[in-house]
Amino acid sequence: MTTLIAQIGAVWFLAILAGFPLFASMALASFAFVIFGGLNPSIVPQKMIQAVNSFPLVAAPIFILMGNILTAARINDKIVAFAQTLVGWLRGGYAHASIVASMIFAGMVGSAVADAAGVGAIEIKSMKRVGYRPETAASITAAAATIGPIIPPSLPMVIYGVSADVSVGRLFLAGFVPGVLMGLSLMVMVTVIARRQGFGREPFAGFGAIWRTFRDGIWALLAPVILLGGMFSGHFTPTEAAAVAAFYSLFLGFVVYRTLEVKMLPGILIETVETTGLVLALVMAAGALGWCLSVSRVPQTLTPMIVDTIKNPLMFLLVCNLVLLVVGCFMEVLAAMLILIPIMVPAAIKFGIDPVHFGVMMIMNLILGTIHPPIGVVLFVTSRIAEISFETMSRAILPWLIPLLIVLAMVTVWPPLTLWLPNLLMGK
Amino acid sequence: MIARIASMFDTGLAWAAGFLAALLTCVVMLGIVSRGFGEPLIWTDEVSRFLMIWLAVAGWLMASRKRAHIRIRFFHDMLPTRLWGASEAVMQSALVLCGILLAVFGFELVRRNLDIEATTVPLAMSWVYLPIMLAGLVMTVQGAIEVWEAAAKAFSRSGSDDDQIGAQKP
Repeated sequence: MTTLIAQIGAVWFLAILAGFPLFASMALASFAFVIFGGLNPSIVPQKMIQAVNSFPLVAAPIFILMGNILTAARINDKIVAFAQTLVGWLRGGYAHASIVASMIFAGMVGSAVADAAGVGAIEIKSMKRVGYRPETAASITAAAATIGPIIPPSLPMVIYGVSADVSVGRLFLAGFVPGVLMGLSLMVMVTVIARRQGFGREPFAGFGAIWRTFRDGIWALLAPVILLGGMFSGHFTPTEAAAVAAFYSLFLGFVVYRTLEVKMLPGILIETVETTGLVLALVMAAGALGWCLSVSRVPQTLTPMIVDTIKNPLMFLLVCNLVLLVVGCFMEVLAAMLILIPIMVPAAIKFGIDPVHFGVMMIMNLILGTIHPPIGVVLFVTSRIAEISFETMSRAILPWLIPLLIVLAMVTVWPPLTLWLPNLLMGK
Repeated sequence: MIARIASMFDTGLAWAAGFLAALLTCVVMLGIVSRGFGEPLIWTDEVSRFLMIWLAVAGWLMASRKRAHIRIRFFHDMLPTRLWGASEAVMQSALVLCGILLAVFGFELVRRNLDIEATTVPLAMSWVYLPIMLAGLVMTVQGAIEVWEAAAKAFSRSGSDDDQIGAQKP
């Protein structure tokens, strides 16, 4: 059966390169496996349904819904305004503000797409207005959006936690430091590029203006505190936090800022399902394909092979980084996780690598795929907002991968960056 | 006539999807609130999962109708127009096959689960598998239309980019 899955895997890979829709290619590969393997084909639709018959996954559409509500209610504007008064006086202030706003927004939504679509529109518009090239503005926004699933709450972390049997709370805490480092590294990159491209700076607005924008956006800025406080105090689970966040954003839109109208809700809800559908179709197909890999004992065959071939844990992590970066270029994050976790996590544990550390590293790798061609979902979103071609966007994003890859390398080789905070607050 | 039916289907699907998203969020919230009041409802988790299945399939179908599913177009788009149309027709035929398989074996699952009831709600588990069967049916019809469009492009006399019907080479 291992040979059969290898043959089907090779055909599947060629099919996706030929332009076959990704989700259907996985579903057909699964059907081919069960039919040629003499199994009952009704297993495939059953496993596809089982893949989304999952309570933690419920967070996926609800986080996207929350992002859409915040955008429709123009609450993101307040976060961006606060970020601009805070760091707008630096050279390349609008780019710095875009990164800071994404870091704050990351504490409210758990998905890179929601982050890019949420604050992306206003960030790109304001950068273009002060003379940034559209591709530069879109690249900064796309790169900053990758912080979304690293700073908690995070949808990929919920899925990793459930699939790898790891505490989601520990994962959330482990994401804090790498997330902040990603933001800081991008700000360093902005400083370097700002000098070369002659980005301007705004005059310092004064502490009074910072206080005013903070007070104006306090309700929105409180969201991460409410969400994380609720989760760590045990009032709700990370999945339920998504629903709390969605209702909180409705409260802000209808009651606090009064920028939301009832007639806007159907559009918001429909857009949410449309966006989620692309991802969930992949998750369903990946569920079936993942099952085929398990039945053909691929994890059991590969894990000892990996451990025997690669003796050094650091070398194993570097190999995983390479594999995940390549996979991230071709597959959606959640779908890739469902297929790779059963193969990689047992091997990581055999090498003595903490699964929390490995999880953060895995998610960072796969998230980088979202801003990398050919499948970069975040690139699609930001190029559409900036009204530039996907090809232009694909070239412009390349320099912005450098700081993120440096942080990824740091996280890979130095586990305390991820494990220090969870060990401090939750014990070893 | 076909366009009108397609338009009505898309509108109905969009409203159903929106309703599912709203209901899902409310059910999850209800679970938190009822637990907060010390009277936890046992059915909220299971109903959320069932709604999630329907919502996932609704989103999948909406993406299919808008031809928005993720594909790597780079190499495919390098092909000359006729060859592009022919290869698109082959890929869409494979999609039709996938749709048929999902519909047939989805129906099998629905039939087998008619007598099995969910744990916390009086609902046959067939309802959980019904969406995959429906998705298979829609995928088959959609794929067949796209095969027709791509074949028309491949066998058109001029074979130029100007005589597009539906399957578009970007």
